[in-house]
Amino acid sequence: MLASLVATWSGVVAGALAPGIAQGGLDYLPQLLNYLANGLVFSAIIVLGGIGLSLVYSIADFANFAHGDTMTIGAYAGLVTLGAVGTAGPTLFALPLGFYAALLAGIAVAAVVAVATHYLIYEPLDTDSIGLLITSIGVAFVYRALIQIQFGTGYTVYDVPTLRPIPWIEDLTGVTLTEHEVAIVLVASVLVAALHVVLQYTTLGRTMRATADNEALAKVSGIRTERVITSMWVIGAGLAGAGGVFLGLYNQLSPRMGFNLLLVVFAAVILGGIGSVYGAMLGGVVIGMVNRLTPVLTDFGIPIEPAYANAIAFVIMVLVLLVRPTGIAGEGVS
Amino acid sequence: MPDDHDENGADAVDDGDGSTRSAFEGGEDTSQERIETATNVVLAVAALGLLGGAMVGLISPAYLVFLVSLAGMYALLSLGLNVQWGYAGLINFSVAAFFGIGAYVPVLLSATGSPITDSVPPVAGVFVAVIVTVVLALAIGIPTLSLREDYLAIASLGLAEVVRLVFRNQENWTGGTSGVGGIPLFFDGVPVLDTLPRDIGTVDVGFYTLGFQFWNSLLNAAIVGAFVLGSFLVLRRMHRSPWGRVLRTIRSDEELAEALGKNTYAFRMQAFVLGSVVAMLAGVYYAYSNYYLTPDIFDPIYTFYAWIAVILGGSGSNRGALLGGVVIVAIVEGTRAIGDVAFSLDLVVTQLDVAFTLGASFRLLAIGLLIILVMRFRPQGVLPPRDELIWPGARGGEADE
Repeated sequence: MLASLVATWSGVVAGALAPGIAQGGLDYLPQLLNYLANGLVFSAIIVLGGIGLSLVYSIADFANFAHGDTMTIGAYAGLVTLGAVGTAGPTLFALPLGFYAALLAGIAVAAVVAVATHYLIYEPLDTDSIGLLITSIGVAFVYRALIQIQFGTGYTVYDVPTLRPIPWIEDLTGVTLTEHEVAIVLVASVLVAALHVVLQYTTLGRTMRATADNEALAKVSGIRTERVITSMWVIGAGLAGAGGVFLGLYNQLSPRMGFNLLLVVFAAVILGGIGSVYGAMLGGVVIGMVNRLTPVLTDFGIPIEPAYANAIAFVIMVLVLLVRPTGIAGEGVS
Repeated sequence: MPDDHDENGADAVDDGDGSTRSAFEGGEDTSQERIETATNVVLAVAALGLLGGAMVGLISPAYLVFLVSLAGMYALLSLGLNVQWGYAGLINFSVAAFFGIGAYVPVLLSATGSPITDSVPPVAGVFVAVIVTVVLALAIGIPTLSLREDYLAIASLGLAEVVRLVFRNQENWTGGTSGVGGIPLFFDGVPVLDTLPRDIGTVDVGFYTLGFQFWNSLLNAAIVGAFVLGSFLVLRRMHRSPWGRVLRTIRSDEELAEALGKNTYAFRMQAFVLGSVVAMLAGVYYAYSNYYLTPDIFDPIYTFYAWIAVILGGSGSNRGALLGGVVIVAIVEGTRAIGDVAFSLDLVVTQLDVAFTLGASFRLLAIGLLIILVMRFRPQGVLPPRDELIWPGARGGEADE
């Protein structure tokens, strides 16, 4: 079913673009490829954020508004680590090994903070999923406030050199893609593949799926759902932390970076089917692509500026909620 | 009053799934009277402290009036949200959109810096703003109000962001991010009131000379006061009317309301539109108490200010919403003071903008902690609604106690 939906989607894209290609001819192709490549990189970040949001929704059963700020925490943990480790030594994809240490630190710190938040704040609450949702807004503000007090409200960047696009790709296709961007997509793919293996082929994955499906039944079957929930926070927040570090590398860092991205991630997760991990991946790719393909509209004379890229994602989100609230992947795929 | 918690309607209606407790259900709460007394004492002490400060020359009367007006503004936001969340159980995260509309629509019709026109008097502009608010509330409400509650939260926040992006980017209509200047006084074009603050002239009172600025902010305070009083009375009346009873039934058991033949979608829509109009009035005050208006007014933080005010005050309680407004002002102005004091004493910060940022960060921290603490320790709020499902007189003698 997924395959057919993907096929439909690519059909829609091709259909929408066909007149444009006819108009602009082959001249427009490199430009379009550029948007797509850019979209792929952005998608990777959205997918990393979306998986955690979807996991929390399916296992802890609430819409976590602190998830965007969990990404911010990962990004700033990476910033501190990169400052401490330094950028000396060998490089991989033009990124110093220190950056990979920063990535690991971002994953670890985000995971630890999320687990601590779960035990200190969410766990003692005597409330329903709406109460948890409202509480998570408070948690989001506390995360962001602490980052602002420590680092200020301004923008900052990782201390890695900005790169020129990889020459041979540019010569061959006209696509400007830096080694950093390639690294983002590759590492994100590895993380997602690892998650797939964990979910499908390990005991942890089976217990997670069982808990998401029916927590009470999982419990009487002897699954320690407390541990499952802790693992869920580690995985979800860890991936968000990685997404935050990549977002910082792709754009720059600011205390609002995660909160600003949160609704786009929500749009992706809802499009894919909230609560479904694979839906979140698919939704993340679609929303990330749509977001970066927005300039195509102005290129073809439709007066919707790229500044409305997020607005388009939000409108898609509302339309999905209206027409098919279970999203593309529907129920039970997680 | 040993039976106090039994009279709390949320308890009486929603006994179904005892295991969880939502934000508007009261708990075992026999100490409610003590809490109310304590709240009154704290408020009285704070008011006396401020007045005393003004008497001895520490706090200027203009600032005092400003604080009261600001409390009124936040009270309007929370009164409006209270209709939606407190009465009808709608998780509306689009409050800031209506706050912004209330500010932008009259200003775009009356300010000299407006790209549209400056010929419509602000008082008339408010009526246009009501129409725009109703239209926008329908536009946001029609697709979202039938959604499940957590989807409604996400979708309404998303659509409010769309409104914010439109006001940021449509420079030809709104002036874009650089904003709109040249905002006239609210009573511009109205006889007597137009020139009243100037006509009074300057008056010397003790430590202070009260001039145009003071009289003008007093007039603005009167405007926001009238908005608050009017909204409070109308909402209290509606809450007790059959309409209010249906809404409370929908909130506690939507299927029951439908079984009784009520069109729950229509009732929720009415609550959404009514609450949005009240929140819009807060924006009117905001615009005309400033000289300049930027799209920052659409920042979702205003939505969450209203939320914390309603939850803290007690979901469904209009008195609570007023209290929430006062607490928000205490947080906003108190944290601003932290930055200012740190700056003036040369502690930690030595630059004014850093001090400003520090205040903003502490404000965010205080709001976040307050949300968490209220949800943890007092999810029903400080002043939960009394006499929920029945008219006070209906209980006979008990109401007089």
